Amino acid sequence: MPDKTQIHDFVRELLTNSGDDQPLPDDESLLLSGRLQSIDAVEIVIFLEENFAIDFAQIGFDRDQLDSVDAICTLIQSVAK
Amino acid sequence: MNHAATNAETPAPNRQATMESVLRMHPGVQDVAVVDDQRDGLTAFVIPEDTYMKNVLGRAAAESSVLGKWRKIFDLSQLSKEATAASVGSNTAGWNSSYTRREIPLDEMREWVKNTTANILSLRPETVCEIGCGSGMLVLRIAPHCDRYLAVDFSAEALNRLRDQLLTLPELATRVELMERRADDLHGLEEKAFNIVLISSVVQFFPNLAYLTRVLESAASLVKQGGHIYLADVRSLPLFQAFALSVELFQAADDLPVGDLRGRIHRRMEREPELLLSPAFFFSLKERLPNISRVEIRPLRGRADNEMTRFRYDAILHVDGPSEVSFDDAFLDWTERKCTVDEIRSQLHQHPQRTLALKHIANARIAKDLAAMAMLADADAEIATGTWQRGLEPLRAPGIHPQDLLDLETEAGSGFAVFLSWAACRRDGSYDAIFIPKDLLQGTASPSIAWPMPEASACFNLAYAPGQIKLCNEILKQLEEHCSLNLPESTAVNMILVDRIPRAQDGTISVMAG
Repeated sequence: MPDKTQIHDFVRELLTNSGDDQPLPDDESLLLSGRLQSIDAVEIVIFLEENFAIDFAQIGFDRDQLDSVDAICTLIQSVAK
Repeated sequence: MNHAATNAETPAPNRQATMESVLRMHPGVQDVAVVDDQRDGLTAFVIPEDTYMKNVLGRAAAESSVLGKWRKIFDLSQLSKEATAASVGSNTAGWNSSYTRREIPLDEMREWVKNTTANILSLRPETVCEIGCGSGMLVLRIAPHCDRYLAVDFSAEALNRLRDQLLTLPELATRVELMERRADDLHGLEEKAFNIVLISSVVQFFPNLAYLTRVLESAASLVKQGGHIYLADVRSLPLFQAFALSVELFQAADDLPVGDLRGRIHRRMEREPELLLSPAFFFSLKERLPNISRVEIRPLRGRADNEMTRFRYDAILHVDGPSEVSFDDAFLDWTERKCTVDEIRSQLHQHPQRTLALKHIANARIAKDLAAMAMLADADAEIATGTWQRGLEPLRAPGIHPQDLLDLETEAGSGFAVFLSWAACRRDGSYDAIFIPKDLLQGTASPSIAWPMPEASACFNLAYAPGQIKLCNEILKQLEEHCSLNLPESTAVNMILVDRIPRAQDGTISVMAG
């Protein structure tokens, strides 16, 4: 089970850096809602590659899998299995 | 670029000249003009020194960071199910709508590809170098008409997808060559080897004007005499605000207060991650690249109603071609009579041998957004966006859809070719049109026309470059400190970084509008 707080804190920092200090529920849409832009999604991808050894070239890329803190945790879990 | 810093104002004798000479002493200043516009006091328009931005402020590192992120995005988009499952020539992965944040509908992408392909083919490509070919939507359609097609991209995954598609098309194998390179790294390619260098829907991902200029310098050296650099799908700087408003208006809930809508538009513009260009940039390029003999700026063709057709244009740079103007007809101001398409058609029928030129035609594609933009600043902040928007309907200006005019060319019995231009850089999105009897064209698809040009005030800011906002803020800070050390304490400093200072022959400059 990934540490949800770690994911939450990372996304929180991305939002803060883009001037967004609104609350961040773990199930809230990030990319499809426009809170984060695709160029921010790259930061999430690099974070997952470096901290959870996720290889998108192997598993394929689906933007929806990065769309909320919960979705990111689910992705990490599914890859770990 | 338009970044400003302001201090309090105190009049002082000869302050314009003093401020200019003080600013010129700073190594980060390439050029400066100080204007007293009476209303806001002194304003210094400063062009930052390119080498200083690069070497002292570290622009190269910022460039690499921006490009690295975009490369990753394109690589990732080609690892999606949509990309790997797409049929040959239909891989539109990564083409997302700013309005819906979902993929742009396939039929709209098909129209865009069809029209862009037709535009390139009208220039009779034989040897093409495409910079930023992506997964090859244009390669696969244009290469069958060419002897040689060099497809360059910085995304290894995009080239992998293109390579997979080419494997199913052996007839193209000998003509298409793939190359993994950054756009600013074209070293080693044979000079004057291509009659078209194509850069389609790519420059918005470049970090700044200096990078784009480097790419275009290289591109110009690759083009044969009489060839073209074709930049397709360029995001328009004059329509930046209209674009941001259009998207936010689309996404806004009916009950969103207009004050919040204004905030969202402002925030969207602040967070914009892509490069937007004024058509004036391409005209200014002629000073730096004298082998660019002519520039055309065309609104996009198409019926689809999306951000490409509304807010983007194609820029065609003619390289080492004839510079004389073939059509210098006087342009009639459309706003005086606001003639309809039917009236224009009738005029053409009555005078089949006469060229008709119209300027300032209101653009029906974005009339709704422009009506909203004109009224937004004065709208009651508490009113609901839906209510406010419905009240704007009667204010919508009559206009003509650009495609309605282009369609006059293909109507039965029409003896006219139709050309449109956005060269004038107007922020109201209006365009100019000319109808030329085909007999006078002598077969050219791209006649030399004396289009209405931008006013000087439209030439200060040539680009919005997100990749160098931090650098601009840093240099402004340095210049403020420099001024505070070298000018009397209370001298007003209203500094604006610009890309160009358009001086008249007598040395005066016009104060920027808007």
